[in-house]
Amino acid sequence: MEPLQEFITDLVVPHHRCNVNIIPEHITMLEGAKSRKQHSRKRRSHKSSTLSRREYARLGLNTLPTRQMRYEQALPLHQLWRGYVREHLGLREGDQVPEVHEPRYEEFSRQLIKLDLHGARLQVIQSKCKTLEGLAGICVMDTKNVLKLLGEDDRLRSVPKSECVFGLTLGNMQFTIFGQHLNIRPAERSVKKIKTYVQPFM
Amino acid sequence: MAKNNKKKVFALRLVCSRMNFLYQAAHLMAEGSHNTLGAYYGKLCRNVGTKAIMHMAPALKRTLCKRCSLPLIPGVNTSLTVPQKKDQTAPATDPKACKKRHRRQRRKKGEVGKAKVQPKASTVDEHTPLQLECPLCQGRRRFVVDSQRECWIEQPQALVEVLDIEADEERQQTQAQPQPQSQAQ
Repeated sequence: MEPLQEFITDLVVPHHRCNVNIIPEHITMLEGAKSRKQHSRKRRSHKSSTLSRREYARLGLNTLPTRQMRYEQALPLHQLWRGYVREHLGLREGDQVPEVHEPRYEEFSRQLIKLDLHGARLQVIQSKCKTLEGLAGICVMDTKNVLKLLGEDDRLRSVPKSECVFGLTLGNMQFTIFGQHLNIRPAERSVKKIKTYVQPFM
Repeated sequence: MAKNNKKKVFALRLVCSRMNFLYQAAHLMAEGSHNTLGAYYGKLCRNVGTKAIMHMAPALKRTLCKRCSLPLIPGVNTSLTVPQKKDQTAPATDPKACKKRHRRQRRKKGEVGKAKVQPKASTVDEHTPLQLECPLCQGRRRFVVDSQRECWIEQPQALVEVLDIEADEERQQTQAQPQPQSQAQ
């Protein structure tokens, strides 16, 4: 502050210099950053109630470690999923998959595509990549392009959806799911309109 | 009109069961200390709700972390605390308003300070802020004990109509059952 006061007094005509009275409150410093205290206070008050995408990713919520979860730990999830499927498809004991000519068929298949796959036991039946064939596991994570399967050897594997055909066993029913048609974000799948006629690939 | 309504209910049923499943899965994972997966399922549950324009019950919504959607279960995941004011010590909490959760947590923790507070607990202490801190994102949620204010949806006046889906289904099945017999004849 003092060099500034000297500088201002220097500008005044010499015989008026004794009358110069500078009030320090009137001086506004423009150069330099704000003090750290001011910054931190502002940031704390602005701590938002929602996570940004970057913060979300930094917390590691988009990824899962390859070897952390054990297969046994995913089994209760699988049990929960079974109950959910019963409720979702309205199944009872000994129900059969409806035939194509039955009127129930269309509705059933529409329900089937809206099924949530978290916790399902899936198996790769067919794939463009031969090494993926025969992989089996409980689906833990479902993203737009990838399913994360937790195998019985406690390893988490990412399986691309678009290249694979998945098999799903449910009691005495067996479904074949073409992964290509699952390429939707899981949250959007429940509201997405489905074409009545889709071509299977391969 | 009735048909349209039925269709709507049917479409909502699928979303409802899915959200229910995801919420339960999130709780399951959070209890098994898989916080990442718990948050993922919680977030998905919320997203499905927003996509299909369906609201979670406020009581359920409050159990999820506001920032990362991890289910906050006091005693397992977090602890329900009363933040201390600058010059006051922690006031007693109203046992009625903060429900079973708090009691269970108090029993589990068995802290010395809490034990001292317990005899006082019979005095109704309104406007006590209770705080939950998320173990994953360190976000805090505050709930103020207040028996006067209640969310509109939780009030009995807000209830207009109760739709029983299961009864509907049974009626459908009774309708559906005679059909194959007629075909056989």
